[in-house]
Amino acid sequence: MCLAIPMQVVEIDGYNARCEAKGISRDVSLFLLQGEPIIPGDHVIVHVGYAIQKISAEEARSAWELYDAIL
Amino acid sequence: MHLQAKDYLQRIQQFSVPQRVRILNVCGGHERSITHAGLRSLLPKAIELVPGPGCPVCVCPEVDIRLALALALHEGVLLAAFGDMLRVPINAESGEIRSLAQAKAQGAAIVPLASPQEAVALARQHPHRQVVFFAAGFETTMAPVAAMLAEGVPDNLAVLLSGRLTWPAVARLLDTQASAFDALIAPGHVATVMGAREWNFVSEQYQIACAVAGFTPDSLLAAVYSVLRQRLSQPPRCFVDNCYARAVSESGNLQAQRCLDQVFEVIDSQWRGIGVLPASGFALRPAYQAHDARLIFATQQRAIAQAAPQDMPPGCACAEVLLGQRYPDQCPLYGRRCTPHTPVGPCMVSDEGACQIWWASGQHAA
Repeated sequence: MCLAIPMQVVEIDGYNARCEAKGISRDVSLFLLQGEPIIPGDHVIVHVGYAIQKISAEEARSAWELYDAIL
Repeated sequence: MHLQAKDYLQRIQQFSVPQRVRILNVCGGHERSITHAGLRSLLPKAIELVPGPGCPVCVCPEVDIRLALALALHEGVLLAAFGDMLRVPINAESGEIRSLAQAKAQGAAIVPLASPQEAVALARQHPHRQVVFFAAGFETTMAPVAAMLAEGVPDNLAVLLSGRLTWPAVARLLDTQASAFDALIAPGHVATVMGAREWNFVSEQYQIACAVAGFTPDSLLAAVYSVLRQRLSQPPRCFVDNCYARAVSESGNLQAQRCLDQVFEVIDSQWRGIGVLPASGFALRPAYQAHDARLIFATQQRAIAQAAPQDMPPGCACAEVLLGQRYPDQCPLYGRRCTPHTPVGPCMVSDEGACQIWWASGQHAA
């Protein structure tokens, strides 16, 4: 249940962000990252609809290469 | 240099491991990656990877499931729960309803969901109904539940909170059976929220090797390599290594921790199969009591608690599996009476349950 996946932020409206990963689009809350500067294009780790950590593009990419291998 | 799984395996195989080394994990996601990638078969025989209390749904007390069932069946409540809670069985006479999924099949209003935000949307869609969000989970999941409440929820949404902190269960295991474990792989996404430093007690108080791991074979094998190195150095040198640095910092997500603290207090809590652990669960703070299903339905909760339901089903070894005392296939019911299709204990139901994970990966020989 603690599964969390990297997604890319596409649009931001207040605490709500439209995020994408692998062609799937989801509404994600940025409430737990308030105070952290986040702009469209950034990558976040998402758990149950909430971003819990910002990560670099490179980290997100390598995470996905590995997730593709195990999921 | 980024080392890959095969590099870590090579390094691990170069160790001379003079005696058995038991490495505990406390995260269903870790157990799934370990099992599905077949890591156990790749490691030297002396190294054991032991699944522990890593499944929040499995340790959710039967009284909470019974309360959720009673609310959905008898109180006209619209009950929402994370999907993997629905099939978790309770002890019930044959013919009686044993899970939320069975209650749903008989017409109870029960909705599986994947995010706390869906609970808010559900309450808005049904403004004239009492909606109860039955929320089990570890810190990773509780932070979003706290965020949901902190942001404000509709008046008709209440939370039946069954959240747990992971570290007190590890502390209990190390207190009561310290010699059973030589190392800990700490949960990556719990540490993303709470910080790697939360695990310092493992090395400082118990002199047990520890590494925070992510969910890929690379990260898990890096953690195995790290704890072996800590353990086998002369003299042993134990600390908390961070093998998931892309997500985990020393202090974690401070905003999430503030949010948890603002909305919840930490209380003594019952763990199914383990017992009451001090300061190991969450309760809503008084400012949020209008949304606390345990207060709104206090009478029902008292009645169910007084009926003193059992813990694990008779013959089921889920308790020992959660305590790292038995592997799933050492349970007499595993693969016989208990399969994911006909689960007896909670560990055979959840995607995070060790028995379900072992069975799904094809380890059918009991």
